[in-house]
Amino acid sequence: MKPKHLRTFGAAIFILLLLVPVFFKSTFVLHIYTLIFFYIALTAAWNIPAFGGQLSLGHASFFGIGAYTAAILYVKYGVSPWFGLLIAVGVSLLGGVILSLPLIRLRGPFFTLASIAFTEVLRMVAIDWRSMTNGSVGINIPFKPGFKNMTFTSGEPFYYLFLATAVIVVLLTYRIRNSALGFHLRAAASDDEAARALGVNTSLAQFLALMWSAGLTGVLGVFYVFYNYVMEPNTAFSLDLFSLQPALNGIIGGMGTVWGPVIGAVLMTPLGEFLRFYLSTIQQGLHYVVYGLVLILTVKFIPGGILSILEPLISRKKKDRDKPKEKEERS
Amino acid sequence: MDLYIQVLVSGLLLGGVYALISIGLNLIFGVVRIINFAHGEMVMLSMYLTFWLHHLYGMDPYLAAIVVLPVMFLFGVAFQRVVVQPILTTSATMKIFTTVGVSLLLQNLVLIFWKGDFRTVQTSYSMSAFEVFEIIVSIPRFVAFVAALLSIIILYAFLKFTFAGKALRAIVEDNAVARLMGVNVERHYLLAFGLGCAFSGLGGVLLMPFNAVYPTVGVTYTLLAFVVVVLGGLGSMSGTFLAGLFIGVVEAFGGTFVSPALKEAIYFGIFILVLLVRPQGLFGMGRGTEEVGLK
Repeated sequence: MKPKHLRTFGAAIFILLLLVPVFFKSTFVLHIYTLIFFYIALTAAWNIPAFGGQLSLGHASFFGIGAYTAAILYVKYGVSPWFGLLIAVGVSLLGGVILSLPLIRLRGPFFTLASIAFTEVLRMVAIDWRSMTNGSVGINIPFKPGFKNMTFTSGEPFYYLFLATAVIVVLLTYRIRNSALGFHLRAAASDDEAARALGVNTSLAQFLALMWSAGLTGVLGVFYVFYNYVMEPNTAFSLDLFSLQPALNGIIGGMGTVWGPVIGAVLMTPLGEFLRFYLSTIQQGLHYVVYGLVLILTVKFIPGGILSILEPLISRKKKDRDKPKEKEERS
Repeated sequence: MDLYIQVLVSGLLLGGVYALISIGLNLIFGVVRIINFAHGEMVMLSMYLTFWLHHLYGMDPYLAAIVVLPVMFLFGVAFQRVVVQPILTTSATMKIFTTVGVSLLLQNLVLIFWKGDFRTVQTSYSMSAFEVFEIIVSIPRFVAFVAALLSIIILYAFLKFTFAGKALRAIVEDNAVARLMGVNVERHYLLAFGLGCAFSGLGGVLLMPFNAVYPTVGVTYTLLAFVVVVLGGLGSMSGTFLAGLFIGVVEAFGGTFVSPALKEAIYFGIFILVLLVRPQGLFGMGRGTEEVGLK
């Protein structure tokens, strides 16, 4: 149970975030905020299978599928992206079904490998299938402003769109984690065999978790492509941007927790943008060296992520306030 | 018909090198039981080493193996000692993240120091070929195949007949019992990692005369080696060898008859299919593979 004032605190931050575009007119500030919301949502969606201990490095596949589906429908067939969104989610879910097939038998590292391979396959198909995807050149979204086209003349609509998405996805992961599915997943994560012995269908739980995750990631792909106007295979199915980045955010914040992805994305997105802009001008590749080091050091020194440091601080306050209740929870 | 045989031959020749790279991985995996996501980076590093020895000192790529092999052996030993040993008893997630982190680090250090250009080694024999029964055989590919085959035989003999080799096989079969029988398991981990890196590194050397090297080339080889190892079966050398040849042939046929851009997609597809139908691999032992996630 979260203390009540933590909820008030959350609501206050949300209201402040609603007001940001009113006071800050700088497109750069808005862009950074929008990116943070995007990565919060992406990391939270990535984190759902992680409740069950599954580590995917292939979420770029769902992202790319969503982005490409909506972009192709819009550019080639004139389908409004809002309607395309539904189809894109459907196709992303189909991708989720395909990737979840190995889950019937695979756990751990081999699932991770299969997820990387899956993304690579899709990237190559996107490069090769020129008639549909325009090959390596990619797809450009024509600039025709209007709500129907999900194209806007200013940054605010996307700011609010991504803010809303982030809030919804995080609340959704909260609900999932505390539902029967969430308990099945957590049981699978701590001891798969024991959970199955107790009658939990862990494969089904992992499958459902992956489907939620795939669908939500597909939605983000759609929003992202209309936010950026361009999509090409090496970006859409980029291991670095959409597979490794959410995983990195997740592990740094706290994998398999609700708030870990939020903390991770809030910290890592501005840092990532800073490193990308400043270090890349000094030396190409330097920011990934920093990423690699951060990853290795986090895993070595704070394997539970930043949340594992913060949590005792919060629960200590709680312990001071009502000691007997804490005891009850522990038993 | 000629075309089919031609493609088959070049596929088999390439497959030999793939088998060599994968046997290095299989040895490491079988003994140390870690999924090393940075395995392809070993191949990448040895390719670069070969390139620089050729570029700076005019060393023939095949001669460079004399330098590359011991360097990669030591690199493997150091890698096991510094990176792998501390995380052996941790969760799968931490193993994945640590080795992914190392892979990211190595790729980008190489990018910083040696830039992202495609580097190739041009030798007098790079383009040469000979003809047997109207089949054209490229000389560097032929040399690569023969050398790969020889080193696989040497490794096999080492594992079969030497004391250290027997100890390694004992660890593959049952780690705990090997330890009880007095095998210094940690020391043999170092040996296995060193040998695995050296053999995969030799694969990199052999690829260099007809392949380009660039910082992210390792990603493909990591996936490729895992495809081959899983297909052939964890812990099975002959299985890995056959699977390597098979993947080489699949790549050659896919590249010729489907699309050069999709040749890798085809064997990744096969990978996912094999994981699905027979995750212990075609020749795998099955036993002891649950702990790494194969059920």
